[in-house]
Amino acid sequence: MSELMIEAHEVSKKFGDVNALDGVSVTAKKGSVLGLLGHNGAGKTTLVNLLTTMLPPSSGTARVAGFDVVKQSHEVRSRIGLTGQFAAVDEQLSGHDNLVLIARLLGASRRQAHSRADDLLEQFDLVDAAKRNAKIYSGGMRRRLDLAASLVGNPEVLFLDEPTTGLDPASRLAMWEIVEKLVADGTTVLLTTQYLDEADRLADSITVLSHGKVVASGTSAELKAQVGQRTVTVTLDSVSEVDIALKAIGSVGLNPVAEGLTLTTPVSASRDLATVVRALDDNGLEAHEIGLKEPTLDDVYLTLAAN
Amino acid sequence: MATLTWHGSSYPTQVLVLTGRSLRALLRTPALVFFSILQPLIMLTLFSQIFGSITSTANFPPGMSYINYLLPAILVNTAMQSSLASGIGLVQDMSNGVLARFRSLPIRPSTVLLARNLSDAVRTAFQLVLMIAFGILVFGFRPDGGMLGTLAALGLALVVGWALSWVFIAIAAWVRKAELMQTVGFLAMFPLMFASSAFVPVNGLPGWLQAIAKVNPLTYAVDAARSLALAHPVTGVLGALVTSGAIAAIGAFFAVRGFRRPLSV
Repeated sequence: MSELMIEAHEVSKKFGDVNALDGVSVTAKKGSVLGLLGHNGAGKTTLVNLLTTMLPPSSGTARVAGFDVVKQSHEVRSRIGLTGQFAAVDEQLSGHDNLVLIARLLGASRRQAHSRADDLLEQFDLVDAAKRNAKIYSGGMRRRLDLAASLVGNPEVLFLDEPTTGLDPASRLAMWEIVEKLVADGTTVLLTTQYLDEADRLADSITVLSHGKVVASGTSAELKAQVGQRTVTVTLDSVSEVDIALKAIGSVGLNPVAEGLTLTTPVSASRDLATVVRALDDNGLEAHEIGLKEPTLDDVYLTLAAN
Repeated sequence: MATLTWHGSSYPTQVLVLTGRSLRALLRTPALVFFSILQPLIMLTLFSQIFGSITSTANFPPGMSYINYLLPAILVNTAMQSSLASGIGLVQDMSNGVLARFRSLPIRPSTVLLARNLSDAVRTAFQLVLMIAFGILVFGFRPDGGMLGTLAALGLALVVGWALSWVFIAIAAWVRKAELMQTVGFLAMFPLMFASSAFVPVNGLPGWLQAIAKVNPLTYAVDAARSLALAHPVTGVLGALVTSGAIAAIGAFFAVRGFRRPLSV
């Protein structure tokens, strides 16, 4: 089961003088999730557009589900699903009609199309809103309908371009669960995101893009080790307490630095948080605020883009 | 469910399904249907009442009622305005988001344009039939060409509108801005409409306007439609059809080229 469903080899895309993508290579095995992490303008969407045959690459080659995205674009398009940053649903049609439309265009008979639409509406909890115009759907409902629309043809490869941007936490979680279920059923997913926690939770491997280039790739754990460290931040009530805390935390093998009343120390494991708390406690200090901070996308960038 | 393998429908199915989609979307927006019918009816009412006295002027064909003169012209005009709406409809489709999805499906991009064009032709046909019915029932439209001649005029107006719709679809595929198209479209249409034989005989216009009216293609389309409805010696019908065909072909060519460009970069 190590069949490659996404293979991009040294693909570049120029818009005028701008290198939106510059020699990017990525791969994804069948049934895995490839996370593309990067800020706006990093080239994530351009790569998705290339792989979904919407844009031809300026150079390089790419295959999706085994087919060349330029020479066999029709074959590729009949095996992929795409959910973009903006819900690609027909606002003038009902949810049900949207799904029927896609199914019919894919080649389903009228009857097949209706039954597929009903299945998906059920699966995405849209039965009550099925007959209503998509125009009046909430943001979360619209995204669900959009995702449902991209799944009508049971795609082998699903592209999710920032699927949770702008969603409330509950809808976000629901979206994550849907993706996890799809992957469990064997779908290969390429997911772009600006959020490290999203990539962390969903992606088997993560590729970090910056200014059109791959700056890092690996599993979430590999990346974090390579990129940023977790830090524990402690805020105290006075400068004298900060001095005591510096010594106390320093003596248990950590390297804290102080800035004003806040003290920061890089840690490698979650249990180091307990170590810090114990060190404070042993010296009779009570922290005003204490927290464990995960490495953020900014940390990734600061560390990787600098190299 | 793993046995489902749909790898794209046939070209005619794509066109049919997409045409159906546009018409369904239209029907689900009753306000739009209402106003797209109301507008030409208002035009018909106003013009027939305001310009009615023109029949007593020297240049007007003696013995002809104004409604008989006016209605074939309004048919062509309405078809022309609908063709602009067709282009604007495509721009709205592009911003609707669903076009982005169509692009990721195994369908031919030209089917989207063809469907837009066909569904608008259906809508226009419906408008024109209503106008004729309104003209007959309310204003006493009794053309010498009878039902057959009137239907022929309707057909001609449809062909002209269909051809122009390709032009506006092509412009839409390149310009992609609804407001701009609306403004420029109306700016272009007003002089075209009035500097023609649509509302008054060309001979009654001031000299400079006559010169414009005589090169205005709309004059020829209106004259052709009128000759069919009023059973005059048929002039320029073949010319209008051939010209429309040529315009449609050129428009469609540029429309497909323009539409192939990415939606956004």
